[in-house]
Amino acid sequence: MNITFSFKHGERIINKFLEFNILEVFYVFGIYDIPLRMEREFTLSVEERGENFVYRRESGDEIVEKMLLAGDGKLLVNPVEPLNKPKEITPLLLIEFQKPVVIEPGAKRKIFLKFPIEIGVFISGGKKLEVMDIFTIARQKYTLYGDVSTGKICRYWKSDVYPSIPEADPVREGILELRFENLSRGWVEVTRAVFNAYGMKIYYSDSMVSMRGNMRILGEGTAETYFSNSPLEKGMKKAVELYTARRLAISTKFLMEAGL
Amino acid sequence: MILDTVIYGEITLFNLLQVLFILIIAAILAKVVVLNIRRSLKDKLRKDHLEILVKAVYYTIIGVAVISVLPILGVNPSGFLVAGGIAGLVIGFASQKIVANLISGVFLVVERPVKIGDQINIGDVSGIVVDIHIISTIIRTFDGLYVRVPNEKVFTSSITNFVGNVARRFEYEVGISYSDDVDKASEVIIKVIEEHPFALKNPAPQVFVDRLGESAVVLRVRIWAPSTEWFGVRMELLWKIKKALEEEGIKVPFPQRVVWLRDEPSR
Repeated sequence: MNITFSFKHGERIINKFLEFNILEVFYVFGIYDIPLRMEREFTLSVEERGENFVYRRESGDEIVEKMLLAGDGKLLVNPVEPLNKPKEITPLLLIEFQKPVVIEPGAKRKIFLKFPIEIGVFISGGKKLEVMDIFTIARQKYTLYGDVSTGKICRYWKSDVYPSIPEADPVREGILELRFENLSRGWVEVTRAVFNAYGMKIYYSDSMVSMRGNMRILGEGTAETYFSNSPLEKGMKKAVELYTARRLAISTKFLMEAGL
Repeated sequence: MILDTVIYGEITLFNLLQVLFILIIAAILAKVVVLNIRRSLKDKLRKDHLEILVKAVYYTIIGVAVISVLPILGVNPSGFLVAGGIAGLVIGFASQKIVANLISGVFLVVERPVKIGDQINIGDVSGIVVDIHIISTIIRTFDGLYVRVPNEKVFTSSITNFVGNVARRFEYEVGISYSDDVDKASEVIIKVIEEHPFALKNPAPQVFVDRLGESAVVLRVRIWAPSTEWFGVRMELLWKIKKALEEEGIKVPFPQRVVWLRDEPSR
């Protein structure tokens, strides 16, 4: 039996077979009992194979198959920091604005941007939660912020600038509320923002994935970025973080010194 | 009793066993402490920083143990320190190379031109730095060989660190037929580069006509990639560019020569 959900961003199908038990459904994101099957731009399934289970995920050309040696367990699917695919090489995300933003001195203003989504699949058993798979259907691209000697490699994303919360497909793009605070004495033009994954606080609901970022402009070419730990709308759930500040002396902020 | 047997001066067999026991305990203690530091800080420190910390702790414990057993052997550490200057000179002359390597090792740790995990070239050795010891640096060559380079050589040689900067550039030469559209070929190549995640958006890739060859218009393609990923990108992209050009009907010609046969009028 197929269960079809329709919503404003398109049609999503979750194949629910009779023996499958879905506890809580946030369309794609949420907690599921296994076995299960999900189909969208990707296919994700956990099927019974004898006493064990087989996890299988297909998206684009990529196929991942893993044997789960578990009696039961729950699968948590939620958005994670978009810095793991195709390979984790940097904890920094650079969002380039489609059009520059010019901010008056002393102003506190906010805009909305979009950021890429990566989907994390976690398996839980007992009280342990383990990441099993990460994938994305968003475009993957990297760039350099700063010069070759002292710059930083960043995940790259280009976003339009929105005055209010735009519509976005939550499996592909999230909404970033970016609050500016211009502490400098002059007008400042901002064309990009670089964020540190170690500070990212991602929230999700059935229709949106969001983060709330801040940029304190310290001078013409310098700004500090960081995240607020609160949802964009009430009722949103907090996503499991992969980039926790486990290492000593890891900052959750980022100082943009190579231009705005 | 056999333990009271005098070995030399006032030192008995018992004293020697005491020293041996303390040194063994210190060595075991150092190993245990180092193991625990590795376990607890593995995720919290970078590998090269962790290795420096581990070595510092290990040699400190061993050093303290050695100094603490000196009085048992009838050696006064304070006198040893006074004699240290002269002894240092003697040892220095006797083991110049070892001391040079040791000092170079210290400078390598301080200046850090290379780190554990870096891809480097020193003299005629290229590979990945596996470890930096007090007197030598261990390199695993790209074809998997173990090479031990004395630190003096590392310190005094010119070092090329392939991952010293975060990004590096590589180039291709792509020849297209004289009858094909250069602008279209450039567009196709740029599109292929754009689709590769690790071909950096900035610095932007460049495609331009480099020269008019004998058999082809030669395009030069310049691509920047993260230093850690550049070789993978380099391996993948050339074939993708070739396939994309062919799919668009653009030929990558092989060397050819057009021969005109002139009809000689019969006499």
